[in-house]
Amino acid sequence: MTIHRRLDRLLDDRPSDQAFHVSRDAFTDPEIFELEMKHVFEATWSFVGLETQIPRPHDYVTTFIGRQPVLLVRDGEGRIGCFLNTCRHRGTVVCPFKRGRQKFHVCRYHGWAYDSAGKNITVTDREDGQYPAGFDAADRNLVPVARLDSYRGLIFASLSADVPPLPDYLDGARAFIDLVADQSPVGQLEFVPGDITYTFDANWKLQFENGLDYYHFNSTHSSYVDILAQRVKSGDATGFTSERADEVEGQGSFNFRNGHAVNWSIKRQLRYGRALASDPAGLAEVKARVGDTRLKWMLRQRNLTIFPSLQIIDISSAQLRTWRPLSADKTEMTSHCLAPVGESAAARRFRIRAYEDFFNPSGLATSDDNVMYEFCQTGYAAQAGDTLGHLRGLAPDTGGHGDHARELGIAPVEYAFGKPGFGGETNFHPGYREWRRLLERATGEAANA
Amino acid sequence: MLDRGSLDRPSARRHDQLGVERLLLIEAQYLDDKAWDAWANLYEPDAVYWVPSWLDEYDLVTDPDTQVSYIYHTSRAQLQERIGRIQSRKSITALPLPRTLHMIANIVVSEHDELTVEARSSWTTHVFDPRTRRQHLHFGTYEHRLVRTAEGYRIARKKIVIMNDCIPTVVDFYSI
Repeated sequence: MTIHRRLDRLLDDRPSDQAFHVSRDAFTDPEIFELEMKHVFEATWSFVGLETQIPRPHDYVTTFIGRQPVLLVRDGEGRIGCFLNTCRHRGTVVCPFKRGRQKFHVCRYHGWAYDSAGKNITVTDREDGQYPAGFDAADRNLVPVARLDSYRGLIFASLSADVPPLPDYLDGARAFIDLVADQSPVGQLEFVPGDITYTFDANWKLQFENGLDYYHFNSTHSSYVDILAQRVKSGDATGFTSERADEVEGQGSFNFRNGHAVNWSIKRQLRYGRALASDPAGLAEVKARVGDTRLKWMLRQRNLTIFPSLQIIDISSAQLRTWRPLSADKTEMTSHCLAPVGESAAARRFRIRAYEDFFNPSGLATSDDNVMYEFCQTGYAAQAGDTLGHLRGLAPDTGGHGDHARELGIAPVEYAFGKPGFGGETNFHPGYREWRRLLERATGEAANA
Repeated sequence: MLDRGSLDRPSARRHDQLGVERLLLIEAQYLDDKAWDAWANLYEPDAVYWVPSWLDEYDLVTDPDTQVSYIYHTSRAQLQERIGRIQSRKSITALPLPRTLHMIANIVVSEHDELTVEARSSWTTHVFDPRTRRQHLHFGTYEHRLVRTAEGYRIARKKIVIMNDCIPTVVDFYSI
């Protein structure tokens, strides 16, 4: 079967028929996984870090884009670079550490050295090496990524040059990054120190979908919902806020170009407080700076997915998580507590406790999600036909409701809104469409070559 | 000032060393036996239960108020919240619960004062998930601070360091 026919089978997307199905094979087929790594993760913009992770000259962090190790580093002039973390001599990982600060990165194998701008400055025993003619003229510097840019301090890199400029790529997702960054009096975001890494034995798309999925909350997290209710009953109302009486309660989503989407909810009765609202003085400062409308949106739960591998969840706390697919049925997650620079010590403490409470393999909610992904992965082996998991919200919307997009000054390509039990699934669709576009682009190129 | 003693000078013996060691081992057995209430009752009402995360390859976080932990609880009630969650049979992480086996070794007891004693130990927990037939191993160190009460030693503070901190799927109080 040609790859194109297979892609058609993997994603059955017929808007005119109100049909949208993702094949189980998309989650289980190792060949699809190989194509995804090369043509999706290693061929579009990926989040690689925050500018505040490397504030000083020569600060660095290491990470991955798809399967490829990269070094994100600030040079002596303060410019940020991102390089494939591999020595030009024999391919060794040049920097084996997670983070640090050093002017030079010396490959431990034969001693070739690079400065923090990626420039090769030493070839050990160059003169004795009997190198061929032209060796010195050849490029021996660390290989830079094809594209590097940042938005509001979030740094993105692409291994392919065939990508739109980052602001165009992010599209309306920018407004939702702004809603997090503008919670800081200085407009900057940082990671609260402390690394959390975990794995689950399931396909990365289960995490992609789950971050966009409000439908699962009450069932998957019913034990956590009980705990939240018990806490409210015990009278702890720190950080609780309320919506105005004329706001229509419900759940909604915006779909943007290039695979991104955000889902959000409008709730009169919150189940938990928020770090932003836990400090009245901080809240007043934000309100004075951003105004009532944007503050209202900052205080709403927002789950932002930036395709292919970044989610920012702004609820009681804020989490920035990325995934690194290891195989069709194994995924490595990195989770950060995301915080506005300059919030009060009390708000920061609230944020950290709320983050630990909800997220991570040790949290009271995420741990249930991780197990659920593995249940799905096991179930996907059953050849039981297409799932019915991407249909909520496909029927034409008949309700007239708020001016949600207009209030935010954004123009999403699709918009959905429904009752508090809506749990729309059409916000998964842009990611799958971008996924197929990238796979088709690559395989089409291969076929034409 | 902690008196840890030294090779040629034992620490001052104001505490029952065997009693301290026994509490650590009993705690591990309660966890493996899923005797959750008995386990929680080993803790003081205002006990600190802390599982720090790692800052980098070498260093742990040191301040739970400005850095991220896996778990940072400051009361027995928070441990009981976790117990209630898995007893509710609503958390998928406990359907089924894994079987665990804790092993504790290298216990070194340091006297603190008349009422308080500290113990550092090494632990491993073997975890077997009957659902997936997978098994894995967590390992690290414990630091216990015990207080003498009318009922015997109780835990006032426990710090659990997880050395292999790329966590497979779930980690909770019973698996560390």
